[in-house]
Amino acid sequence: MGSAYIPVQNSEEEVRVYLDQLPRDASDILDILKAEQAPLDLWLVIAREYFKQGKLEQFRQILEEGSSPEIDEYYADVRYERIAILNALGAYYSYLGKIETKQREKEEHFIMATQYYNKASRIDMHEPSTWVGKGQLLLAKGEIEQAFNAFKIVLDGDHHNVPALLGQACVQFNRGRYSDSLELYKRALQVYPNCPGAVRLGIGLCHYKLGNLQKARQAFQRLDPENVEALVALGIVDLQTNEAPGIRNGMEKMQRAFEIYPYFSMALNHLANHFFFTGQHFLVEQLTETALAVTNHGPTKSHSYYNLARSYHSKGDYEKAGMYYMASVKESNKPHEFVLAYYGLGQVQLKLGDFRSSLSNFEKVLEIHPENCETLKALGHIYVQLGQTEKALELLRKATRIDPRDAQAFLELGELLISSDEGAALDAFKNARGLLKKGGEEVPIELLNNIGVLHFERGEFELAEQTFREALGDGMWLAFIDGKVHSYPVDASASTYAYKDVQLFHQLEEDGQLVELPWNKVTALFNLARLFEQLHKTETACILYRMILFKYPEYIDAYLRLAALAKARNNIQLSIELIGDALKLNDKYPNALSMLGSLELKNDDWVKAKETFLAAKDAADGKDSFSILSLGNWNYFAAGRSEKRNPKLEATHLEKAKELYTKVLVQHSSNLYAANGAGMILAEKGHFDVAKDILTQVQEAASGNVFLQMPDVWINLAHVYYAQGNFALAVKMYQNCLRKFYYNTDTQVLLYLARTHYEAEQWQECKKTLLRAIHLAPSNYVLRFDVGVAMQKFSTSTLQKDKRTVDEVRSTVAELKNAVRVFSQLSAASNLHFHGFDEKKIDTHVEYCKHLFGAAKVHLEAAEREELQARQKKELEQQLLKATEASRKAEEQMKYQLEKRKQEEELKQVMQQEQHFERVKEQWKSSIPASKRKDRSQIDEEEGHHERRRRKGGKRRRKDKSSKSHYEVEEGEDVGDQEELEDEEADTNHMHRYSIDQGGDEGNAQTHLAAAGLEDSDADDDMIAPSSASNRQKRVWSESDDDEPLGRQEKLSPDRENSAEFQDSDGEIRDQKMNRDAAADED
Amino acid sequence: MKLAGLKSIENAHDDSVWAATWIPATDSRPSLLLTGSLDETVRLWQSDELVLQGTNTGHSLGVVSVCAHPSGAIAASASLDSFIRVFDVDSNSTIATLEAPPSEVWQMQFDPKGTTLAVAGGGSASVKLWDTSSWELIATLSIPRPEGAKPADKTSTKKFVLSVAWSPDGRRIACGSMDGTISVFDVARAKFLHHLEGHFMPVRSLVYSPIDSRVLFSASDDAHVHMYDAEGKSLIGAMSGHSSWVLSVDVSPEGAAIATGSSDRTVRLWDLSMRAAVQTMSNHTDHVWAVAFRPPGRTGERAGRLASVSEDRSISLYNYAG
Repeated sequence: MGSAYIPVQNSEEEVRVYLDQLPRDASDILDILKAEQAPLDLWLVIAREYFKQGKLEQFRQILEEGSSPEIDEYYADVRYERIAILNALGAYYSYLGKIETKQREKEEHFIMATQYYNKASRIDMHEPSTWVGKGQLLLAKGEIEQAFNAFKIVLDGDHHNVPALLGQACVQFNRGRYSDSLELYKRALQVYPNCPGAVRLGIGLCHYKLGNLQKARQAFQRLDPENVEALVALGIVDLQTNEAPGIRNGMEKMQRAFEIYPYFSMALNHLANHFFFTGQHFLVEQLTETALAVTNHGPTKSHSYYNLARSYHSKGDYEKAGMYYMASVKESNKPHEFVLAYYGLGQVQLKLGDFRSSLSNFEKVLEIHPENCETLKALGHIYVQLGQTEKALELLRKATRIDPRDAQAFLELGELLISSDEGAALDAFKNARGLLKKGGEEVPIELLNNIGVLHFERGEFELAEQTFREALGDGMWLAFIDGKVHSYPVDASASTYAYKDVQLFHQLEEDGQLVELPWNKVTALFNLARLFEQLHKTETACILYRMILFKYPEYIDAYLRLAALAKARNNIQLSIELIGDALKLNDKYPNALSMLGSLELKNDDWVKAKETFLAAKDAADGKDSFSILSLGNWNYFAAGRSEKRNPKLEATHLEKAKELYTKVLVQHSSNLYAANGAGMILAEKGHFDVAKDILTQVQEAASGNVFLQMPDVWINLAHVYYAQGNFALAVKMYQNCLRKFYYNTDTQVLLYLARTHYEAEQWQECKKTLLRAIHLAPSNYVLRFDVGVAMQKFSTSTLQKDKRTVDEVRSTVAELKNAVRVFSQLSAASNLHFHGFDEKKIDTHVEYCKHLFGAAKVHLEAAEREELQARQKKELEQQLLKATEASRKAEEQMKYQLEKRKQEEELKQVMQQEQHFERVKEQWKSSIPASKRKDRSQIDEEEGHHERRRRKGGKRRRKDKSSKSHYEVEEGEDVGDQEELEDEEADTNHMHRYSIDQGGDEGNAQTHLAAAGLEDSDADDDMIAPSSASNRQKRVWSESDDDEPLGRQEKLSPDRENSAEFQDSDGEIRDQKMNRDAAADED
Repeated sequence: MKLAGLKSIENAHDDSVWAATWIPATDSRPSLLLTGSLDETVRLWQSDELVLQGTNTGHSLGVVSVCAHPSGAIAASASLDSFIRVFDVDSNSTIATLEAPPSEVWQMQFDPKGTTLAVAGGGSASVKLWDTSSWELIATLSIPRPEGAKPADKTSTKKFVLSVAWSPDGRRIACGSMDGTISVFDVARAKFLHHLEGHFMPVRSLVYSPIDSRVLFSASDDAHVHMYDAEGKSLIGAMSGHSSWVLSVDVSPEGAAIATGSSDRTVRLWDLSMRAAVQTMSNHTDHVWAVAFRPPGRTGERAGRLASVSEDRSISLYNYAG
């Protein structure tokens, strides 16, 4: 250790001061320095010595004394040393300010530093060291640009000023110009090869920033192994390798740095980071809190906050995590500096349901990393929640494009596409499944279930079954599906309730077989059962539903399916009971209520049914289209069935029905059933062309869906063609409908067909059609009656022809014999009260048949006479026959007189009705033009919106679904629950589900309404019971129209048929009279 | 167990074919297939080439059922006008014309010994039994009315009898109704025994197992085939698979399989040990109104044969291998 020599004033002597033995009290030295007027550089030397020894107080004391005004005065001409002293003080305060963490003190230090530098500048504006000091101060204050200017001044004067070079390097580094910075450091090192370590640190950092990790490492390694910053830097480089040994090395270095200097925030952050991954959250918090306490550096603090936030995030404390992410974001302020915080914040906000904020944060992340799949997925997800499906789709598609191996992205994409594009959704799901399988991961049951449902909906039943089986895996159900287990024989009367029975499972358990069904497989099993239903493996489906109920008796949809199955097999009682079970679980379940309503209709319980439909409507908050439609149908048929054909009542009902259909159309403009109803009402009012337009469009729309079974619209269209006299088209339409929907088994449609043939005067076709109908519905005696009428009509029309061959007459007579046989059988059967026909009606039939029989004989006789006359043979026999005939005729004439009165009465009645109908028609016609146009435009408009609305509907569904938290949705909410899917898929399906499930409920509804002969829906509920004889009679005449399993027939048409029949019969009578007269003349 | 198509005749009749049965072989000729149609004719076909052997006329309004006497000498056909024509198979001479007004005629079957013809009586809610020597009506097996029902109650229509079957021992008759119930009668005492429940839609066809007099198969519009223990009053099993009405059921001579015809246009073969459909034939284009296994004949007729007839006017013949 050297010594300083203070020259003694006015002598050659010197005072020797051992620098390592400086007095504790600086005043002693100061006294000497002052007394001997020692040169100022000595002051500096001694002060520096004190500084080196860490005696800051003494250091400051000497320098402050050395820059006091007296000194200035005394050493006025010693400029450099004075500046040096001031600069030293400035640097000292800069340093204090830099390390000070408290804002106020920090500023005070900086102010002091500024003062000293300014003072130095006043002594000499151009002193480079002052500028360097100023630059350093500005750098410490973060005023980078000004610091740049300060250093530039120096370097402009001297290219090799090392401190200035270093300062400028630092400035460039902070400006992010790392290569410039590197250049400056290198220059400094060339000028002054023995630079302090900081230069190499700077070089290392520049290399690091420029991505030259190897060079960076070399630079760091040249530094003192105890240099904390170098250690941390090396550690970071090691961590960057992202490999286990590198990370271990890196962490060791961090740890060493921490041991050397425990307050280095960078090291703290990295350690915290490490402990986050090892799950030691307590350490994370401690380390980050320390780091936060020791630094003011924005990005570092941001990192610390981030660490803390992440720790809370992983612990599930989203509130706190959100707070710290927010703090982290605030510290860094610029997303590109520290994007992770924005990501974390976005995640937490998403979790807390703050979609808007979350969206903006993720978008910031995306700005910086536009190809980041996770961010794209997150954003896609948020857009889904916000209902912006298009955007969501776009983002998810992009995500799958960027990373075609991201199963999750495909999964989400598929979810999103379900409502809009099933094919694409299926592809996405399949991709996801493929990726998961390839990656050796287990494919979630939900995903398989979704794939299965989509296959199912596309009609790819085999694939659907495979997929569901894959989803289900091994289990008890396989035994049922593959028919390995048979149900035990049950008492035949108990078999009525087989669909409710879970005894089988108890028995199996008793036999030692474990019946197990994990909850997460229930949905897939349910869907598989739905599939079996579709494939008509009803028994298997039934057993699976029962298995579900055995394990999960609260699974309400399984009850409904079983009820639907029972109903399809016409087991109404059981079906009602099953619905009752479902309602016990939830008495406000609209589907169950609607189904109950239609069952009650089937059971002729009209008042109850209406109440149930109303309850269903209320339960669904008026949004359940099915119940509203059912009410509409109810009214529609009430209109057609009022006893006295009261036009006012009829109009009221039609209005009410129309109102209800319209209501549904307003809610769901693409509801085909409501549109069908509207078309029906229009047809009813005689607006055939508009009705045809609507119905045709409905038909087209319905044709495109495998599941949508809408025979009604075919029938209605046919009715319209029929009403317009286009019989050929009507026939075609009826036939297509029969083939397409009913396997040609529906006798009601056959009856319509026969009626059309009848109107078209195609007697043989009419007869054959009716015979087929009888074969299909043997107990429907009305069909037999109709066959009789057809044959009789055929005969008369032949006989009325001007020219006819004997063969024609023969076949006519044969046909008449058949007709007589049919009628007499009918009357005989009627006498036995087989069919519950009204007695009056039976009488009418009997009398009429007898009359007809007589007439037939006349025809026969006439024909045979013609033949005889032609051959001039067997005159005698003929006369004998005539004699007997004459006596019989007389007898018949008497009967006929009686009968005629009755017939006339009826005819009158019919005529009255006919007139009335005409009148009403006139009324309608007069009121048509305005309303017609209006309706039309309205409908057109609705149709126009059809597509768009439908899509909207789809969107709404997504929203509904995803309002539950996203990831849970998939498992819990029966993603693929067939019913739900159908339910929500498109509005139209609302009905369609029922037509699948419940097999033409609407139709049945009407049937029974008709059968009940109800008067009024709203007003006259109590008028149901009594029905006058005349009404009953009329009902019976048209009963054929009622006994049909499909409804929605035009009520106009059946009536028309009835009146036609009446007219025909009367015409017939007239014809016969004429013939008889002719015969008499001949006699 | 397998069916293989042998021969199909398109337009075998001029209109829908509604009924079919096999006439057993006699000493002088092999067995024949007998079909009835809406075209008002009854036709006889030689197996295996389905050569038309004869066309019987005389019915009106469509032939709804045909049946053959176990001797193979006589057969009966019935039409919608409720006449039954009993005729000599080889000469086509009318043996008797039966009617029991106002009762209609639906399915008919001779008893295994050939002494009695049972006829499903439609709206009369009864099975009519005719003596095959005198052709007199000897008994009416009526389904009892439900208790408490009024005479004029329209529910009586629901007991409309469509189908009838003799048990192989000739002691029992089962009949199926529109409402889905099956009624079992004791023939000797002409007494109603019990109902078999489970169907709620028309039962159009019934057949007893040839190997177990207790086992009865029923085909119903509810698209199911039921297998009952007709004595024990219990449902042994229900078989689903048809997508529309099951119109006809017949059991194979060895009793291991049943065949069904449905309005879903298919013929199905069911393995009774698996209680599952093992084969579906889709060669018809409309209702398959009847399926019938050929009874085992003498030498040269050992091979199993199944015939089916359809609304599409065609008849088909299959080889059945058990």
